[in-house]
Amino acid sequence: MSVNVRPSRIAVHIALILYAMLAVGPIVLILINAFKTRRAIFADPLGFPDARTFTTIGFDRVFANSDFGLYFLNSLTVTVVSLGLIVLIGAMAAWALTEYRFRGNTILSLYLAIGIMVPIRLGSVSILRMMVELDLVNTLTALILVYVAQGLPLAILILGEFIQQIPKDLRDAARCDGVSEYRIFGSIILPLIRPAIATVAVFTMVPIWNDLWFPLILAPGGGKQTVTLGVQQFIGQYVTDWNAVLASLTLAIAPVLVLYLLFSRYLVRGLTAGAVK
Amino acid sequence: MAEVSLHGIAKSFGATEILRDIDLSVEDGEFVVFVGPSGCGKSTLLRIIAGLETVSAGEIRIGGRRVNEMQPAERKIAMVFQSYALYPHMSVYKNMAFGLKFAKTNKAEVDRRVRQAADALKLSALLDRKPRELSGGQRQRVAIGRAIVREPSVFLFDEPLSNLDAALRVNTRLEIAKLHRDLGATMIYVTHDQVEAMTLASKIVVLNQGRIEQVGAPLELYRRPRNLFVAGFIGSPRMNFIKGQVRSATEKDAVIAFAGSEAVIEGDPGRLKSGDDVTIGFRPEHMASAGPGATVLEGRVDAVEHLGEASLVYMTLPTGEDLIVRASGEDPVKSGDRFAAHVPVSALHVFDEAGQSVRIRNEGL
Amino acid sequence: MTDIAAPEVQTESFVGRSRFPIHIVVFLAPALVIYTLFSIYPLFDTIRLSLYAGDETGARHFVGLGNFYTLLSDPAWSGQFWNALRNNLIFFAIHMVVQNGIGLGLAMLLSLPRLTGGSVYRTLLFLPTMLSVVIIGFIWQLMLNPLWGIAESLLAVVGLKQFFGPWLGQESTALLTVSLISVWQFVGIPMMLIYAALINIPDDLLDAATVDGAGPFSVFWFVRLPLILPTLGVVSILTFVANFNAFDLIYAIKGALAGPNFSTDILGTFFYRTFFGYQLQVGSPTMGATVATAMLVVILIGVLIYLFGVQRRLQRHTF
Repeated sequence: MSVNVRPSRIAVHIALILYAMLAVGPIVLILINAFKTRRAIFADPLGFPDARTFTTIGFDRVFANSDFGLYFLNSLTVTVVSLGLIVLIGAMAAWALTEYRFRGNTILSLYLAIGIMVPIRLGSVSILRMMVELDLVNTLTALILVYVAQGLPLAILILGEFIQQIPKDLRDAARCDGVSEYRIFGSIILPLIRPAIATVAVFTMVPIWNDLWFPLILAPGGGKQTVTLGVQQFIGQYVTDWNAVLASLTLAIAPVLVLYLLFSRYLVRGLTAGAVK
Repeated sequence: MAEVSLHGIAKSFGATEILRDIDLSVEDGEFVVFVGPSGCGKSTLLRIIAGLETVSAGEIRIGGRRVNEMQPAERKIAMVFQSYALYPHMSVYKNMAFGLKFAKTNKAEVDRRVRQAADALKLSALLDRKPRELSGGQRQRVAIGRAIVREPSVFLFDEPLSNLDAALRVNTRLEIAKLHRDLGATMIYVTHDQVEAMTLASKIVVLNQGRIEQVGAPLELYRRPRNLFVAGFIGSPRMNFIKGQVRSATEKDAVIAFAGSEAVIEGDPGRLKSGDDVTIGFRPEHMASAGPGATVLEGRVDAVEHLGEASLVYMTLPTGEDLIVRASGEDPVKSGDRFAAHVPVSALHVFDEAGQSVRIRNEGL
Repeated sequence: MTDIAAPEVQTESFVGRSRFPIHIVVFLAPALVIYTLFSIYPLFDTIRLSLYAGDETGARHFVGLGNFYTLLSDPAWSGQFWNALRNNLIFFAIHMVVQNGIGLGLAMLLSLPRLTGGSVYRTLLFLPTMLSVVIIGFIWQLMLNPLWGIAESLLAVVGLKQFFGPWLGQESTALLTVSLISVWQFVGIPMMLIYAALINIPDDLLDAATVDGAGPFSVFWFVRLPLILPTLGVVSILTFVANFNAFDLIYAIKGALAGPNFSTDILGTFFYRTFFGYQLQVGSPTMGATVATAMLVVILIGVLIYLFGVQRRLQRHTF
């Protein structure tokens, strides 16, 4: 295959580079213009900020007029707590469903699979009603409960397939030593599924962090907004203030960008690993 | 039908050198086996002949034509892969006919060839099956059938038996040998199993670390290994090696001391001179528990493996060196015994400090 | 859950078995409770609610399929519903063709053997997918804003300046533009899934095809494509469910009214408006539930077509 392949290889790289520019360009554009004066944003949108055009006025306005730090903390709390619960509860259920044969096992697995195909959003009318009754509107708890319910089916599927690959001898050896089922799960299975957590994280964390729908419906105010909703509300208010808009977008992008670039190898690997089956 | 010749082939991936200075000619109709430990470059060499890898230097000729620039399909070769590489979404028939589609063969001819090959390989009843519905041995035969229908000048086999169980392996080995007899085509076969190499080859090429160590007929390699590597690689259980030193050397013979005894070795000692360190090699099957005119090596038996017709005696010499002796199955020797092994002088191989054989006068074994 | 707790023989030697029922209850309960309460129950409750109508006093009464009749035939509702459904189908069609087409193409390039910088490309190409739809919406709104003129001047560079227009603002182009923005963001998902399927095909198979005389195009058409069909099926159903559940992007760019003149209205935004109300119309939970149930039906039809029409015919290959 590698005969006479060089010229076409160059074409491949050109195509990939062009598409990579298309994919990353708009994001870079937002980042560089966030640090420029209003005049420079319009006069030279493609230029990098320099000594003459550099300003952080947009960021000052964002921090002065919104609780950005609080929104960020809300998003972080919701995402981390949800992910933790999804992994723990999901692993427990996945373990039970893959390890033990019992009546109703298949039906339960199918029941859990409904949530993979049917978006939980469609139940929003009832979810809101329930949250009003439980007095959980404008709380992070409401978001966490919904996100855990939303993330569990896929997590159970992924973790189940992973647990199946753990050699049965390991658990049987522990059983011969008289270890309880809880201990087997806690000290053998949980540590061993760590690699699968990366995959679960990609599939559950990103949608939670980025979601607009449920924050908009369940926690639109009371200082419980997530970053996504906070930015949406802020931009709605300051739509003509380009510095502030660009700065708020940059603030929303930056943490995800940093985390992504740091962990992209694991994320991409998790994604492809999860997809291979 | 075609001969294959390689001149000065070299291959590197980046800074890693996989093959260097490969010169080899394969005669028309020959069955050549590339053998060597894993990572020796034998598979890469096969893929270079197939056209699946390019060379960094050198020339490949098949049937007298330079093929360096040719696509695999133009080289009139067919290849059988270790994993069989059957197309999982195609029936057995389509798997075999796939290559002919691109050769613009007409339908009737395709059908004739596929059915003929299927007949010969006992696959006729399976033509509509998918690969996943076949056993390992059947898949293997489909892979061979796919090669046959293309009527190539050269067949290339990349470790084709390594995924089969032991019994099937022997069977398929015989079938491949028969195929070679019937078709008379040139075949090049890669394996790491020296038994396969010995049984199938008309010529064996031993590769190690990207270089050819020795080329020759199976028995020639067995009897006259050119160096330590070939001596150790061909033969099972492997040749015993112990340290020795040249006591004296004349034009006609040399006296070599090893393991507390001495042996006079006739023939041309060549480069050897008095005081040289050498390695003495002798095969387990050429030793006996007793016999006249032989060097006697005494040691303690560590373990005995009874194979039935013979027993393998694992022993340690007073020098600390280990030996394997293939003794008669009747021998009552057991672990812990003292054991005297007799090595006929004609069975000795001598290797100089560089590991090259210096004595090749041991015909008759 | 009670049936699994059926008493079993208690023996010392069979410790694992004897405590078996309690374990599985303990292991399964948290997941089942949360999942049932906040996912399955709301879905069924929504369906139930769609069969009721509320009046001004807040009292609800059973109306059977009356709400659906209203939704599909009352001019005040049906026009918007069919418009949203049609737009959603166009939205989906654009994703299927453009997003999955580009995704397949990029995956093909990325899966070339010994491609230098492959992981860098993968990281960069997947980047937009990681960001919030809302943020992406705003970014493109700025990019395409004629006031800023970025898109216009970039088009001018390649000599296409005359084609520039306020794409997001025109009724004729708004839906296409919004769809392409979404495609731009999510192309990474089909790309990754197809890439994973492609690299899963053993090299031997591709080598065998090459030895058989297949050129690059034939290798793709006769070997790789048939082998990744199951993945293309998965990509299609994922695209379908995601598209018929979409909301964030259009809400961020065009607001709940999905303008201009509802030309970007899809089922998600229509659902939101029905539920929460807009301008002068008051929101209606029961009509909202009706729209949600209708969306559920659409999605279920898609899933069933996939499960019984597509998936069964696509044999998964193990290598």
